[in-house]
Amino acid sequence: MKIELVPASLFSIQELTDLYNQTRVDYLVPMPMNADRLAEYVRDFNVDLSLSCIAREEGGQTLGLSMLGLRRGRAWVTRLGVLPGTRRHGVGAMLMDCMLENAERAGAEEVILEVIQDNAPAYNLFLSKGFEETGSWLVMRRAPRPVLAEPQGEVEALTREQALDVLRAYPSHITWINAYESMSNAPDVEGMRVHLSNGGRGWVVYRSAKFTLRYSLSHLVLHTEEGNPAEVGLQLLLNLHARNPRHDTYAENVHAQDPHLAAFGEVGYFENFSRIEMRRKAGAPLKFPAV
Amino acid sequence: MTKILYIEDYEDNFTFVKRFLVPRGYELFWAKNAESGLEMAFQTKPDLILLDLGLPDADGQTLSTWLRGEPSLQSAPIIALTAWPAEVARHTVDAYGLDGFLCKPFKINELIQLIDKLLEPKRHED
Repeated sequence: MKIELVPASLFSIQELTDLYNQTRVDYLVPMPMNADRLAEYVRDFNVDLSLSCIAREEGGQTLGLSMLGLRRGRAWVTRLGVLPGTRRHGVGAMLMDCMLENAERAGAEEVILEVIQDNAPAYNLFLSKGFEETGSWLVMRRAPRPVLAEPQGEVEALTREQALDVLRAYPSHITWINAYESMSNAPDVEGMRVHLSNGGRGWVVYRSAKFTLRYSLSHLVLHTEEGNPAEVGLQLLLNLHARNPRHDTYAENVHAQDPHLAAFGEVGYFENFSRIEMRRKAGAPLKFPAV
Repeated sequence: MTKILYIEDYEDNFTFVKRFLVPRGYELFWAKNAESGLEMAFQTKPDLILLDLGLPDADGQTLSTWLRGEPSLQSAPIIALTAWPAEVARHTVDAYGLDGFLCKPFKINELIQLIDKLLEPKRHED
């Protein structure tokens, strides 16, 4: 079987969606998309379809895909997947090589990606391509329901612009999907700052979708400016959910050592799965031959 | 006839389940995404809902909160069918107030037993 790699921009969003869903049909974490969701994904996360790749039999059936996001000297590999029946033939490695070449050609000094914990074949592929593990991130959910404790503190609502401003100044690392650039691409960013009577102070920035079937809060980033993060985090989340009791909530990519983690648990979040972030500097040597 | 709505993006999965449930006297309806699932639930008023948690347009969890919020559907048990690991599925079912779950791939007999168990009280009412 001779395989060729072609730009994803040659395909419609619907065709890319269909291929993506087919590659994920048996995936560890089920996340099918429709064309609208994929189009939003491309927009929000600066995916460049002309630098994203489709693997196909020469002139024939599509076998897999991988997408590349680009921002200020950094590239992000995402949606990498190969059809179940055609795995273990080097298609994933070919797609990865294509991503690395395209990232380098676009001037990226660093390539980033995330892999689901326990996805050993993908993790090993990335290791073989010179990626190094840089941290673990949790994906958590909270079902809509009233909060069980009275929220404390004085709440200051942040406009979209104010929310983006505080996020831009956030002092710690945030993964690609919650970064300032992603949030500034999204139309539904909000935020709030809470001032506690003991001087504690912090903010939460998030996205708030108000459409019927996506009535949700997502992409939460919490920061404690003053005081104890467990206490400030708890009041941020209590205030957030007291004001949005009917919203389903996804907290995606919260660092496994985030100082607010206990607060998430206290207000009813539970862990869905975790991701490992990996990075590769431009020109990094291969660690061992590709599998 | 007892109505079951199956909200699932893969038609093959629906066809497989339907083959076993129709001979048992159930009437099956299929919705391939969350939006049509919500509409069909309102129209057909099913006695039980089989809900795939991984839908292309919205998460099954989010859809379940809308199904649970509709008074005419509140008595319909919802069974989550999911590829999530059992522990995550159990947390999800508890948090979202669903009635049961099966992890894919499941045995059809497990599904039939769970459906029969959840619909038993309704049979007594009828």
